[in-house]
Amino acid sequence: MRLRDIFQITEVSAHCDLPCGVYDPAQARIEAESVKMIIQKANQSDDPDFRTRAIVIKEERSELVKHHLWVLWTDYFKPPHFEKYPQLHVLVNEATKLAGAAGTKGEFDEAKADELLAKIAEIDKIFWETKQG
Amino acid sequence: MIRPGLARVVGTSMEPTLREGDLLLVLWGARPRVDSMAIVRLPRDEHGAPRPVSVKRVTGVDPVDPGRWWVERDNPRVGVDSWLVGSLPRSAVLARVLLRIPCRRAPST
Repeated sequence: MRLRDIFQITEVSAHCDLPCGVYDPAQARIEAESVKMIIQKANQSDDPDFRTRAIVIKEERSELVKHHLWVLWTDYFKPPHFEKYPQLHVLVNEATKLAGAAGTKGEFDEAKADELLAKIAEIDKIFWETKQG
Repeated sequence: MIRPGLARVVGTSMEPTLREGDLLLVLWGARPRVDSMAIVRLPRDEHGAPRPVSVKRVTGVDPVDPGRWWVERDNPRVGVDSWLVGSLPRSAVLARVLLRIPCRRAPST
């Protein structure tokens, strides 16, 4: 007689909400939303341990924002896209800077997170326009 | 009521601690314990769709609201946790994970 013969097995999820291997600015957006939440929570907290962990996780998630944007820039967008949307290079550059040391990675400024989310929204709009063909 | 049960892991957000197909011995209804893993019900997503029952690590009480629990993923590259959806009420923490049962990893269906 084994445990699994006695108990019903419940499936518990430990996966991402996004399909793997699919290009989607939502990945960058979700990490950026997480960064914004971390900044909010850390600014509301007096707990030094929580704030220390918030710094570590905020840096980690900010780096993931940059990673997801770079993947779109290098792997998804093609020369015709850059031709049609000449502002794309600057947009990606500005967005990754906002997720970097001068932005959410290095600061606890919620306004920077909002600026980052706005840039990602602009990239997202272009992305979906390119999907329309 | 507290009762034991089994749970099968699907996905990779708790790697390297848990892997796809791992079998867990859990205690349904048990109080969360900081640093232990728990089976939780995350809030609905931004489209209002329910998220699946998940396994996460309880890392503490919400520093802003001590009546709520803060849960995180072990794998920073995948998944959703309190840093995105906020802390969870006690009612959303369904079970405490007691241990991973050593066995051959069965693929999920």
